[in-house]
Amino acid sequence: MGLFAPWFLAALAGLALPFYLHLLKRQTTTPKPVSSLMLFESRTQASTRHSRLRYFLLLSLRLLVLLLLILAFANPFINRNTAALASNRLVLLVIDNSFSMRAGTRLDDAKNAAIGVLSGKGAARAQVAAFGSQLRLATEPMEDQSTLRSAVQAIQPGDGHGNFGELGRAVRAMADSVHTPIELHLFSDMQRGNLAATFSDMALPDNVKLVTHAVVTRSEPNWTVESVDAPGQLWGKDAKPVHVQAVIAGYGTPAAQRTVSLVVSGKTTATKSVEVPANGRATVDFPALTVPYGFSRCEITIDSADAFPADDLRRFAVERSDPQKALLIHSYNDNRSPLYIGAALSAAAQSAFVLESINVNEAADRQPSNYAFIVLSDLNALPSLLENSLTGYVRSGGSLLIAAGTSAGARSQIPIFGARIKETRDYSRIPDRYMAVGSSDASYAAVAKADGWNGVKFFYALDVDAGNARVIVRLGDQTPLLLEKRIGEGRVVLLTSGLDNLTNDFPLHPAFVPFIEQTARYLAGSERQGGARPVDAYLELRTAREQAQGVEITDPEGKRPLTLGEAASAQSFQLTEAGYYQLRLANGRQNEIGVNPDPKESNLDVIPDDVLALWQGNGGKSTQEASTPGPATTGKTPQSLWWYIMLLGVAFAVAESILASRYLGTQREES
Amino acid sequence: MLQRFLDPAVLHTISGLDLIAKTVVEGFVAGLHRSPDFGFSQEFAEYRAYTPGDDLRRIDWNVYARTERLYLRRYRGETNTLLTILLDASNSMQFGSHGVNKMDYARYLAASLFYLAIHGQRDAAGLITFDDEIRDYVRPSTRQGQLHRLLAALEHAEARARTDFAKPMRYFQEFLKRRGIVLIVSDFWESPESIVHTIEPLRFHGNEVILFHVLDPEDVRPKLNGPSILVDLETDSQLEVTPDYTKHEYREKVAAHLADLRDRTQAAGLGYYLLMTDRPLDAALREYLTLREGRK
Repeated sequence: MGLFAPWFLAALAGLALPFYLHLLKRQTTTPKPVSSLMLFESRTQASTRHSRLRYFLLLSLRLLVLLLLILAFANPFINRNTAALASNRLVLLVIDNSFSMRAGTRLDDAKNAAIGVLSGKGAARAQVAAFGSQLRLATEPMEDQSTLRSAVQAIQPGDGHGNFGELGRAVRAMADSVHTPIELHLFSDMQRGNLAATFSDMALPDNVKLVTHAVVTRSEPNWTVESVDAPGQLWGKDAKPVHVQAVIAGYGTPAAQRTVSLVVSGKTTATKSVEVPANGRATVDFPALTVPYGFSRCEITIDSADAFPADDLRRFAVERSDPQKALLIHSYNDNRSPLYIGAALSAAAQSAFVLESINVNEAADRQPSNYAFIVLSDLNALPSLLENSLTGYVRSGGSLLIAAGTSAGARSQIPIFGARIKETRDYSRIPDRYMAVGSSDASYAAVAKADGWNGVKFFYALDVDAGNARVIVRLGDQTPLLLEKRIGEGRVVLLTSGLDNLTNDFPLHPAFVPFIEQTARYLAGSERQGGARPVDAYLELRTAREQAQGVEITDPEGKRPLTLGEAASAQSFQLTEAGYYQLRLANGRQNEIGVNPDPKESNLDVIPDDVLALWQGNGGKSTQEASTPGPATTGKTPQSLWWYIMLLGVAFAVAESILASRYLGTQREES
Repeated sequence: MLQRFLDPAVLHTISGLDLIAKTVVEGFVAGLHRSPDFGFSQEFAEYRAYTPGDDLRRIDWNVYARTERLYLRRYRGETNTLLTILLDASNSMQFGSHGVNKMDYARYLAASLFYLAIHGQRDAAGLITFDDEIRDYVRPSTRQGQLHRLLAALEHAEARARTDFAKPMRYFQEFLKRRGIVLIVSDFWESPESIVHTIEPLRFHGNEVILFHVLDPEDVRPKLNGPSILVDLETDSQLEVTPDYTKHEYREKVAAHLADLRDRTQAAGLGYYLLMTDRPLDAALREYLTLREGRK
């Protein structure tokens, strides 16, 4: 018996308070004057004795409530024999089914070891769980051997990346709800890559005893395709062949020559040999990836020469489609901006967009909804019919890029965007003759991929009232340069300078091409098509404006993992399996994604024994325990009593309230 | 509208007994059903034969119709009625559970009666304040300024000492040699037998004696929040009592005391009227007028 927090006993001094109050109340009875005592009779003795009795009862209850409250804070405990608690312990069998467990017979070995532990657990309750990227419980705590064995056998290899930090977090949460001791048996290949970033993430509570069962004791050599760099989309039938670059890595391997193949829709289209240095990496370049229209499932594979063939390929999907149309509306006498924008789009975006340039007088009969996005280049006058048509286009989900140069500076307001023009800034009159970019938002792809527009000189800009628009780039004098605003369901990007080389030298600068490319992709909404993703990544299924639309996902096994309800409302989806996922997103686009396991799983290096011992909390001892749960030790385990004391305190508090209210009720005379 | 000023709590907000008295009486009179036969100031005395120069308005035309002779109705400008108020100014009178204590209430009552008697009835009025001895005496008179003297005496009457009817009684006999109306205002915290025994001799001189028994509501129904120590305002003696006692036994005893006092006073030919300090004053004034009418 002891106290976890004995310093709370200092509050016992507070017990004097009820005594003080009760005594004070007796002493401060104010005599009540009356006209005459002629008709009064003394009832002193009887009444006082009666009230004292009640006072003492009330006082005792109040003292008890206070005492119990203090005791609850002091957190008393009793030492119970561990043997007495043994029947209450929970044997938690966690079988690692992360991707690396596909190597050799690791998963089968782990299952066999788990069944061995189940056989020796005695009458203790047990629970089976699989651990990939998350802890997934396969059973409830139970004693039934056959059900538990079935659960162990039913565990399938996964594609996730194991993280012991996540295991520690899940077990900590479990230990909070399960008040009995937990014996955690972990059956794993104990990959070094599974260790958490900090050791404290893996820490286990006091009532959890960790027993590790390593299915391998030493690292094994393994080659893998570590990464593939390939485009997600190709446009048009005349698209130029694209490069595919792959990195082949060896972990604990000797120098060797590997054969690398590019497989497109099941057909090997190219094969190369590469010399992979000992425990190193080699890069392979396939110069011509040609795919037909639609989605193509592509892979980079290496010849299998190790015990882990599952990681000898890396998937990616490529889509070939017709380029989208974009419209550039410019002033009648402006022939520079069509030149620069058209050149930038054709140079950078792999001919993803076909730019149609017209002057403002020809724009009236165009249907904006036929274009992926529209660019307004420095327009002085915008016909009201066209302005209304464009406003409606944006509100219904269209995208617009507005460049406001010297002609637009004559207006008082930016059309459609709605920003008031405060003044025009002519930097050619300042001593430096130009203004550079002051600050930029690196999270915006059009700016980040254009290197923050370093070195670009701006000679002229409009100072506009940003209002509720997002300012992405500011000039050195804090003049907003690039802004974005959502209008209705669409978005408008405003450049407060021109897209020609008169108001700035941006079109002549290398940053112009990635800016136009990324802005075009962003405005067209095609920046995230195709490609490859890692297992356990989350996929955004819908944006805020696509709430009512349904989505459709087909997993690598051809099943639809989303229920109807989830398909109508889920915001995101976790890619849990390696393979190809087919998607129909809420905006109606089709997509296909190649999903690959985390490359860290390919490194089969094991955790050193001393680190494992440290995790088990018995540093220095042997990390490998016997395969059966050890007999209950005869130690003492402190068991906290605060919960029971608090319950008792609440009961006394209720009794005190009832007694006090009854007492006051009888003492107060009804008028 | 003026009757709301009869409420003691409202009167308590008015300063000056003369104003209080005026307010009470005028409020009271305004509430009466005015009868042409209800005269305050004039009493019929006799008929007198008309002589030239007499006021024609005083001719009794009914008599003329019957006798064809002119007679004047003559009224007595003054009466023989003498009002003396004996005001108990003992300590117990200063008890009050709300805004108006018994002494204040008794003052308002006395002032109102003086005002009614002097201004309305032109009676001679006097005052004796006493506790265990005679404290002040204003001789009954109809002289100019009598009302102010009486009100001043009421103002100065502070509650102190204890009540003892027996001791000042012999002095009452000396002061009350002329026949009249004697009003005794007190809370009468003595045995009914003793009270009647002491006061009864006053009647022997032909006086009409009325006891105005002024009590606070808490004198009858004391409120206690728990076992309490009670202090007697006159004797300072203390007693611990319980709410149970005050709720049941005490109320029965008070009711018995009041019934006994009422029976004994009536049996002795004394008038008795119980006044609670949370009740308006008009009941007391009406009682006086009724008595006054009976004496015409």
